Amino acid sequence: MSKVIEAINVCKTFGEQRVSKNIDLAVSQGSIYGLLGPNGAGKTTLIRMLSTITQPDSGEILFKGEPLKESHAQLMGYMPEERGLYKKMTVADQLLFFAELRGLSIKDAKASVKHWLQRLDMMEWARKKVEEISKGMAQKVQFVSCVLHNPQLLILDEPFSGFDPVNADLIKDLIIELKNQGTSIIFSTHRMDNVESLCDHLAIIHQGEKVLDGGVSDIRRKYAKGIYEVGYYQSVEWDAGMSAAGESTLISEQQHSDGKVVYRFQTSESFTPEQLLKLAMGKGNLVHFSEHVPSIHEIFVDTVSKTAEPIAGATIAAEPS
Amino acid sequence: MKNIFVIFKREYLTRVKNKTFIIMTFLAPLLMVGFYAATIYIATETGDDDRTKTVYVSDNNPELLLSHNPPANYVLLPAPSDSDSALAHVERGLVHGWLSVEDRDLRVVDSATYYTSETPSITEKESLKEWIRNKATQRQFARLGLREGQIDSLQSSCSLETKEVTGQGDVKESSSGLKSGIGFALAFMIYIFIFVYGSMVMRSAMEEKTNRIVEVIVSSVKPFDLMMGKILGVAAVGLTQFVAWIVLAVGLVFGISALFLNSGNGMTTQQAVQTGIEARTGMRGMDAGSGTAVSMGGEMSAQGSDMTSGARDMAAEFTEPLSNLPYFQILAVFLLFFVGGYLLYSSFFAAIGSAVNQESDVQQFMMPVTLPLVFGFVIAQTVALKAPHGAMAKLFSMIPLTSPIVMVVRAPFGVPFSELALSFGLLVLTFVLMVWLSSRIYRIGILSYGKKPTWKDLWKWLR
Repeated sequence: MSKVIEAINVCKTFGEQRVSKNIDLAVSQGSIYGLLGPNGAGKTTLIRMLSTITQPDSGEILFKGEPLKESHAQLMGYMPEERGLYKKMTVADQLLFFAELRGLSIKDAKASVKHWLQRLDMMEWARKKVEEISKGMAQKVQFVSCVLHNPQLLILDEPFSGFDPVNADLIKDLIIELKNQGTSIIFSTHRMDNVESLCDHLAIIHQGEKVLDGGVSDIRRKYAKGIYEVGYYQSVEWDAGMSAAGESTLISEQQHSDGKVVYRFQTSESFTPEQLLKLAMGKGNLVHFSEHVPSIHEIFVDTVSKTAEPIAGATIAAEPS
Repeated sequence: MKNIFVIFKREYLTRVKNKTFIIMTFLAPLLMVGFYAATIYIATETGDDDRTKTVYVSDNNPELLLSHNPPANYVLLPAPSDSDSALAHVERGLVHGWLSVEDRDLRVVDSATYYTSETPSITEKESLKEWIRNKATQRQFARLGLREGQIDSLQSSCSLETKEVTGQGDVKESSSGLKSGIGFALAFMIYIFIFVYGSMVMRSAMEEKTNRIVEVIVSSVKPFDLMMGKILGVAAVGLTQFVAWIVLAVGLVFGISALFLNSGNGMTTQQAVQTGIEARTGMRGMDAGSGTAVSMGGEMSAQGSDMTSGARDMAAEFTEPLSNLPYFQILAVFLLFFVGGYLLYSSFFAAIGSAVNQESDVQQFMMPVTLPLVFGFVIAQTVALKAPHGAMAKLFSMIPLTSPIVMVVRAPFGVPFSELALSFGLLVLTFVLMVWLSSRIYRIGILSYGKKPTWKDLWKWLR
């Protein structure tokens, strides 16, 4: 699949602090790329470089194979984490302004604004000032302002922060719809809830470095460590069976709210899942058997906790290019 | 370029469509006229102390002070011979004060003392001194055998007319007062405009930063374009306001003229000339206050019927000098220096707005920016009006931070083209440099949140 944007060995330093260290990444056409990392990891700095707001100190960024330049910004949509609207402007005027800034002609801008307002059932709010509409409504306006010009690359920095669940779902659906239409999306977050359901590919940034990168399912598979779960509607005695089976270890026992008791085993090369299944079936009325694949959340916590202290300080600063 | 225009359009339209702007455009001239009228009224009508004061007087020249003509609001009584009781009466408030003159020789009165329980104002002190001096002078004349009527007839009067000799050998009527008035009014407008609209640019930059709109914008617009679009958009708002005032003032004056015309008297030649001059130059609009008053005075006096002779004299006095003013130069200088000065200062204001996180952080940066402006205004009021062709006036009309104000004051007095060109050239160069420097602060400032910025930060951003 062709690459929409590529970062090659990108570095950025603010004063003494190196906030991006030799970062490589590539976003394929029509995919959703998750950029994960704790607060202060350097995600926003990286995103600002990708969206032409600042330039890297060294390394290269390519947009569709060409070195990134300012005119490429017109082909991108960017929703920053810290975002706002002009309170005294009407919804329609505001959207028209952003559409024109993104290079649309007045005619196209008007058509696009109308399309999106209709799409989100907001036509009756078009003439209202932003200060007169609800926060949820303003969030939708915010999202629309980034996609009015049909960007080829949409960069969303913490897109769900501050969104209520209803609007978050709505935006999630829109993101998937845009992806299906061929838009590539970079999706930065430090919250994992939506990553698994949305992203095709992810990278974890920590202390300015990329510490993990790959397809979401590949990464999860890679982190699967031969842990299996078996479940019953009653407690089961294991000691005797376990010693007979030899090299399998019971690592946890969980009582679920539905009455199910789930036991987690670490298997090994000499003790296959098939052997565990046979053993488990002999223990009683087996209702659950599955491999435990770690969630992105677990992988993230695991990866980040292996490295040193998080970068201190929450001041976001831009540096002269 | 296109983005500068998009930003310009937004800045302009949101402001011009704003109800406050529309109301203020109509209200501001009225408020200004009201403000001046109130100031003049207060200064002339209520400034004086109008209490009637009873004052003891004692002097060594009989009937020098205890005359038939005491100063206004004073009742004079002979002081008791005992100075202690005189002082005690003053202290207890039985009399307002005690005025004592012990000189026998009235050529130099240097022993006059005024005892009061409250410190007299400067005005009161001066008027008493002047009154004593007059009395002493009259006494001196009387000693020479002159009566009061004779003294008055000896006083000569004099008036001085000023005429300008132009290069073509023509001699024209000139009016320093008129030129000073016009120059000062124009300088005052530039001063106010830079402050009002400069702050508007600053608040606009701050709004975008604090509302976090700016990051979305700079992802598609260069910070320099954003800043320029903003500065030019706000300038256009100001110019719109000016044009509205000019139209308003001209409309008002023509409306009033029409009213008078309908009352019977045809337009006189003088009025035709007067109206012609004003229509040609737009002088009325430039100062909705004094300009209109002057021109209205001229027109109304031309009606001749129930106008006072004073108004007619005033019109006559100003008509010729008005037609002799270098209008084109004044207007050109005003517009060029006005635009140049505004652009220079508003780029500073934009940089400040981008650097700070909240209104309260503004003060520390405002002072050094507004100081040269205030200084320029002080120079304009003092040096430039007294000696428009003096070395100081020339110097400050060259320095770009003060030239927008000082040069405009000098303009009506006629400034050589070479000086104008040099000063304007310097202004443009400085403006270009400052816009460039400010844009460097701006592009980093707008994305820097967190701690309160310091001068050191700004310097770091500049480099």
